[in-house]
Amino acid sequence: MAHVVLKDLVKTYGSFKAVNDVSLTINDGEFVALVGPSGCGKTTTLNLVAGLTSVTSGDIVIGDRVVNDLDPKDRDIAMVFQNYALYPQKSVYMNLAFPLQMRKLPKDEIDKKVREAARVLDMTQLLERKPRELSGGQQQRVALGRALVRDPAVFLMDEPLSNLDAKLRVQMRSEIKRFHQDLKATIIYVTHDQLEAVTMADRMAVMNGGYLQQYDSPAQVFAHPANMFVASFVGSPAMSLIPLEASTANGGAVLTSAEGWSLELSQRNARKVERATTRKVVLGARHSTIKLHKSAVPGAIPAKAYTVEPTGDVTFVQAFLSGAIVNISVPPNVAVAPDEQIWLEFDQERMHLFDSETEMALEAS
Amino acid sequence: MSTVSETISRGQSARRMRVDGWRWGGRVFLVFMLLYTALPMIWMLLTSIKSGFAAMQFPPQWWPDQPTLDSYQKLLDPQNSVGQDFLRFFWNSLIVSTATTILSVIVAVPAAYAFSRFTFPGRNFLFFAVLLRNMFPAVIFLVPLFILMRAIGLVNTHGSLVLTYLTFGLPLAIWLLKGFYDNIPVQLEQAARIDGATRFQAFMLIVMPLSTPGIIATAIYSFIGAWNEYIYAYTFLSKNEQLTLPVGIQRFFSENTTDFPGLMAASFMMSVPVVVLFLLLQRYFVRALTEGAVKH
Repeated sequence: MAHVVLKDLVKTYGSFKAVNDVSLTINDGEFVALVGPSGCGKTTTLNLVAGLTSVTSGDIVIGDRVVNDLDPKDRDIAMVFQNYALYPQKSVYMNLAFPLQMRKLPKDEIDKKVREAARVLDMTQLLERKPRELSGGQQQRVALGRALVRDPAVFLMDEPLSNLDAKLRVQMRSEIKRFHQDLKATIIYVTHDQLEAVTMADRMAVMNGGYLQQYDSPAQVFAHPANMFVASFVGSPAMSLIPLEASTANGGAVLTSAEGWSLELSQRNARKVERATTRKVVLGARHSTIKLHKSAVPGAIPAKAYTVEPTGDVTFVQAFLSGAIVNISVPPNVAVAPDEQIWLEFDQERMHLFDSETEMALEAS
Repeated sequence: MSTVSETISRGQSARRMRVDGWRWGGRVFLVFMLLYTALPMIWMLLTSIKSGFAAMQFPPQWWPDQPTLDSYQKLLDPQNSVGQDFLRFFWNSLIVSTATTILSVIVAVPAAYAFSRFTFPGRNFLFFAVLLRNMFPAVIFLVPLFILMRAIGLVNTHGSLVLTYLTFGLPLAIWLLKGFYDNIPVQLEQAARIDGATRFQAFMLIVMPLSTPGIIATAIYSFIGAWNEYIYAYTFLSKNEQLTLPVGIQRFFSENTTDFPGLMAASFMMSVPVVVLFLLLQRYFVRALTEGAVKH
């Protein structure tokens, strides 16, 4: 195993910048998810680490070597592809043996390692089959097996679960997590699904438009999103972002909506707003931090329920505030009807405030 | 009640009638096509086992009175001059066609792979330029190519034919193979390269085996094209010992009086390699032409 360092990594295609000054340190044995919407540069970043794409500028370090100019085969990495990329003409056994054959290992050692990998992944009985005779989940396992059979320094995974159906995806998710815990492997995992990143990764690197937005543990990213993009990307349903006007008077601060209502801020939040360069502030709140009242309460803001979505465990209510959609979760025993008058109370401790121009989170100090 | 059921049954029978009409039309058409393609072959075979006299009779002998393999014996006997010539033509054709096939695969495989996998300046232009030659009838190039061959001293060599056939066969071969490579996911090569293969190894060990059907189809196509070609062989070669089968047969057997059974026997034997090749490899050929039509 080894650590991986990306230093000011840039990849351009003509005038298009796919990856912009991305710097990341991935510790030995760490599971890092690169996550972002399609086209954010996460797969390009992974291909740069793999050596399938050439670096425009910056450095990639694996272990203690700068690998910028090394062929993929010399980087001591293994990769799991979205479409698995199993060799269709080879049996499962030969698929697993291929990386070892390429490294010219003796035959009996290859056999030992292949059978060991097959045992670990519980597919000994599939060794003679061709990939097309396997189910999606089994193909996925073979792809994983082909990666782990070689004991590489780093595992690269490019959306390995996105071709599976929902149920299998959840199952494989925990298998990969288990696999990481058992092997103490360094894993770089690309996904567009923030839930995968949050559930599996030690740290997640959120990317957008080729830029690294935030790199931290899922809990930190969730609790302290660095900017509005991260805030809205991580978490489901998405964080509600409400554009408001801030005004300060004798130590306190008030957010005022164009709709007429206003919200008095706590001391801490008032300090955040004071430090902002703009009066236009965006209030961010997750569904679980907004309290829904069926009658007027001091400090609560009146709104109208727009849609009501019961999911069994929890019921999601949507409403409009200042033209933004606000998601609120309520226990299933709270009955809310569409178009019903409701009052929303924001948790001052867990609300987020953003500068509407820079879109960055406002900090108290 | 009764009118309703009548209407229904009439509707049904009308539909059945229409379907049957099409079906029978189709059958008649197929039978016609079968006769159209098979009858000349059958007549060729029948004539080839007749005596020279029987072949000229009118009304014709539909079935030979005295079937004989004389013509075949004559053609395949290295002792007599007819056999010597025929076997030499056969050999010449085999050399020219095989050389064309091998060269065309050697050139088309990397060319198609490059067109499929790499972006380079002028890629699209080159790709369509490759097809440009096929927009003109082959005969147009006859005289210019002859002058060119004379200038570089290739007239009366088999090399002139191989070169010419390559220019005809390669465009389609490259197109056919490119389609094939387009359908092989690039991730397979990437996986191989990460698994420890060089780019070349990834191509040889992973991509080549997957494109075998395409390569075989390309090879058959080149071989048949070269094997049957007449005009260029007729123009570029004048020495008897160099002639290929199509020209050789035509010249040889119509020199004095036409020996129809001999001509037919020679034609039949000329078609044998093509038919055998096709039968052996047809499943690859069909696969190659339909590959990519459906997503797997």
